[in-house]
Amino acid sequence: MTARYDVVVLGGDVESLVAAGYLAKAGRSVLVLEGRDHLGGSLVTTEPVSGFRFDACEHFAAAIAPAVVDDLALGHHGLRHTVADPLVIAARPEGPPIRLIGDPNATARGLASVAPEDAASWPGFAKRIQPFIDLLTRIYTQVPPQPGSTKPADLGSLLHLALRARGLGKTELFEFLRTFPMPVADLLDDWFSDDALKGALGALAVRHLAQGPRGAGTAFGLFHHLAGSATVPRGRPIIQGGVGHLAWALEVSARSRGVEIRTGVAVDRIQVVDRSVAGVRLAGGETVQASVVLSGHAPRKTFLELLDAEVLDPEFVTDVERIRYRGVAAKVNLALAEVPQFTGFREEDLRGVIMLSPSLDHVEQAFDHTKYGEQSGAPVLEVVVPSVLDPSLAPEGRHVMSVWVHFAPYHLRGAGWDDQAREALADSAIEMLGRYAPNLPGGILHREALTPVDLEERFGAPEGQINHGELTLDQILFMRPVPGWSRYDTPVRGLYVCGLSTHPGGGLTGQSGALAARRVLRSRP
Amino acid sequence: MTRSYDAIIIGGGHNGLVTAAYLARSGRRVLVLERRHILGGAAVTEEIFPGFKFSVFSYVVSLLRPEIIRELDLASHGLQILPLESTLTPLPNGDHFMAWGDHDRARQELMRHSLRDAEAYEEFGREMHHMAMAVRPILEMVPPDPTSLSPSDLGAMLRLGKHMHDLGSERFHMLYRLMTMSSADFLSEWFECEPLKATKSASGIIGTFLGPRSPGTAYVLLHHYMGDIDGAFRAWGFARGGTGAISEAIASAARAAGAEIRTEAGVERVLLERGRAAGVVLEGGEEIRSRVVVSALDPRRTFLQMLEPESLPGDLVDSLRRYRFRGSSGKVNLALDRLPDFTCMPGPGPHLGGAVSISPSIEYLERAHDDAKYGEFSRRPYMDVILPSMIDPGMAPPGKHVMSIFVQYAPYHLNGGWTDQRREAFGDTVIDTLSEYAPNLKSAILHRQVVTPKDIETVAGLSEGNIFHGELALNQLFFLRPAAQWAKYRTPVRHYYQCGSGTHPGGGIMGASGRLAAREILTDWGQRP
Repeated sequence: MTARYDVVVLGGDVESLVAAGYLAKAGRSVLVLEGRDHLGGSLVTTEPVSGFRFDACEHFAAAIAPAVVDDLALGHHGLRHTVADPLVIAARPEGPPIRLIGDPNATARGLASVAPEDAASWPGFAKRIQPFIDLLTRIYTQVPPQPGSTKPADLGSLLHLALRARGLGKTELFEFLRTFPMPVADLLDDWFSDDALKGALGALAVRHLAQGPRGAGTAFGLFHHLAGSATVPRGRPIIQGGVGHLAWALEVSARSRGVEIRTGVAVDRIQVVDRSVAGVRLAGGETVQASVVLSGHAPRKTFLELLDAEVLDPEFVTDVERIRYRGVAAKVNLALAEVPQFTGFREEDLRGVIMLSPSLDHVEQAFDHTKYGEQSGAPVLEVVVPSVLDPSLAPEGRHVMSVWVHFAPYHLRGAGWDDQAREALADSAIEMLGRYAPNLPGGILHREALTPVDLEERFGAPEGQINHGELTLDQILFMRPVPGWSRYDTPVRGLYVCGLSTHPGGGLTGQSGALAARRVLRSRP
Repeated sequence: MTRSYDAIIIGGGHNGLVTAAYLARSGRRVLVLERRHILGGAAVTEEIFPGFKFSVFSYVVSLLRPEIIRELDLASHGLQILPLESTLTPLPNGDHFMAWGDHDRARQELMRHSLRDAEAYEEFGREMHHMAMAVRPILEMVPPDPTSLSPSDLGAMLRLGKHMHDLGSERFHMLYRLMTMSSADFLSEWFECEPLKATKSASGIIGTFLGPRSPGTAYVLLHHYMGDIDGAFRAWGFARGGTGAISEAIASAARAAGAEIRTEAGVERVLLERGRAAGVVLEGGEEIRSRVVVSALDPRRTFLQMLEPESLPGDLVDSLRRYRFRGSSGKVNLALDRLPDFTCMPGPGPHLGGAVSISPSIEYLERAHDDAKYGEFSRRPYMDVILPSMIDPGMAPPGKHVMSIFVQYAPYHLNGGWTDQRREAFGDTVIDTLSEYAPNLKSAILHRQVVTPKDIETVAGLSEGNIFHGELALNQLFFLRPAAQWAKYRTPVRHYYQCGSGTHPGGGIMGASGRLAAREILTDWGQRP
């Protein structure tokens, strides 16, 4: 007997689970199929050593779309979620670090002693870019309009956007258009002089991008990173028990609405009859019928692996093949015997995001190696110590530290990412940490290094790209995931896509799942 | 001297001369003032060494708008464009990649390197031609203000929107991708042959401070397809008599229409009366009055040198200070005793009548850029080499030759600054690198002239030596060139206009800025252009 559902959702990452929740809430029968043993995609918490819980992959998730938390009653289903006070610490090789907090004037007061030239500039900068972030946030909460389209829906959303953009005022709108395609290095050089301040913001702008801060379009990267925030910098969502608890709450919420979730079940094929979805076939041969399949996988998997080749036009296939992923970051997770003592830090600084990124040149040089398939000997580190804000993540007195290491190209020249390369990566990261926190290397109880290849294998990040497609100007908005197919539907009737590969590409956590579910619901009687 | 003019043009570069010619043709009394002893700005031919003539700065032409050639009848004023038929890319392994202008030969050569690329090449050429056609109307329009609700701006925006819509979604997306992608990524979608990709992508980095992997470098590829030769590999040409001959032809057209042109007449500043431009003051103190003043200088000079900053709105001054020049290229001009002998293609031959591009791979170009990012000139630079005397024997004494080497990257902001010593070290690097491919070069050199970005600034008057009057980057194009709200060739000072490459569409010896500026001035005078 073949099972039958209204919707089969492929993949159990956060966006898929959000979509499943919305679909079930609207009365659809939903089956979620996840090939791995865990849910959550790149938002996952593991416990490789007893008592130490790591946010194994992403630790600086985008703001969670507020509507999602309410609509799916995640609080009721166990989500304990706050947003950390905005705090970015730009460590400096010598002297005290730079502290960026939510209140621009307070940031400026702090800068007065460490970077006096920039103290006066900071509030103006924060004020200048906030409307850009607000506009981007607005764009991220709706289906992207298709320029050039004359469909009423597209014209409507374009007009809406145009009116919204006009609300910026003439000067701001010009600035918005001028700033987006800039190299973030130029933007920062226009405002600031302190190397560590610029290095930290530049590094945040090129997170998971195969670009250095001198590459054009990286200013957009900074705004994308800040989407959903009312402050510069933004706070990171703090989920009690680790980021993986978001998926857990979503799972509880979905199941309570009757969603069936199966993990460890690999899907072999999306079945298509007459260019319409008929269901899926599992690896074991079992089939599941459904007239709607919503795939949260990366497009490469959805279209090139799970569909029969003849289903799609060659032009569409070419567009899918052209998506650039290029993961460039590796992850190092550490279990620590004691609190790391960063030179010149105050105790509360460990609550923030610590950037070991001493200058724009440092970031650019770290990136240069990527172009030639090498890992950076002197990387850029983005460090958080989650156990400071959530002591449940480590035994008393001990800590977990989570480190993104830029840059580490997926395609490493030579032998590729073998054990030696992986350990070399961890070594260079720890060596750099040791220069800022001398007690750290000696206090490591356990270390885990995840190369881009590991990120692909363990968390389904294609080419180690946790955004499921580089977030560059040519791969966002109406171009995401492929040009002209940004409305979550596909050339196959009944097949829809969601996830980080679709708009807004993880710019707001849960948003693509919510928008995709809405799209699915609107398409059916 | 109390003579008065309708228009004074500051700067006798090609755009200034184009504006002068168009204004004079409509019956206006026009005076062009050039600081140097020769006309042309960066488009000059000079006999640097006796008997050897050089296009000292700008050296090839492809983008000069056909309507300007036609309307000003430049052919009858002596303009003759000789095509460059090929581009040779020598490779370190002794092989080469040859891009022929001739379609069949180009295809044959491609097949030698990659069958796949030979197939893709045809379609690529067709698509790029379509894209170039799609961009053309944009080059020919005065940039509208996208934030304005005035009928003319809204109308222009709607026309632009309709134009995009008429392209169809596929071509619109391709155009969008061209505007936002890196040339390396874009070309990699089509081709696998490294020297082909590198040689093509080199055109995307010229005059910018970006490497071929940086977004925003792809659309410049289109410039190659804007020539009138459909699908041709390279629509570059060389003006008989050197690049200065283009300037001379335009100047001749302007004079024929009644324009007056004075050289060695540097302008000190614009003369303001009651906040309006009323003429200019020359460096010697002489005042010349006119109804309008038009600056063909780059934006920094136009606004911040010719005017007192106090006469400008503060936010415009701010944005001009943020406008980026940072020249990244230099020139080496050689007088040669004999022809260079390229190891990959020994002896004389038709390849010496084309360009030689030192761009063996994308990685080579990226590494060249890496040096410049940190303030050094490239240890192994990208070079575009031509032998003008092969195309136009009049450029050198009989049996001798001139070689023009365009070099990137040579950052204006060199660590420690440019000195005579650093200039010569830069020249040595260029010659050493080129000698790897043409070993007899060193012994053939009679004279050499090394031009750094600093020299381009000092001699040709281009700020920071940027050959395009400011980077052709996405944030400095169209309605943002040179500054928001001042992209329509006007300035906040009444009767003061701008017509140089720092305005839309700018860059290359195109002349489009000069022509559009003249039209706007005539419109303000209530005259149909």
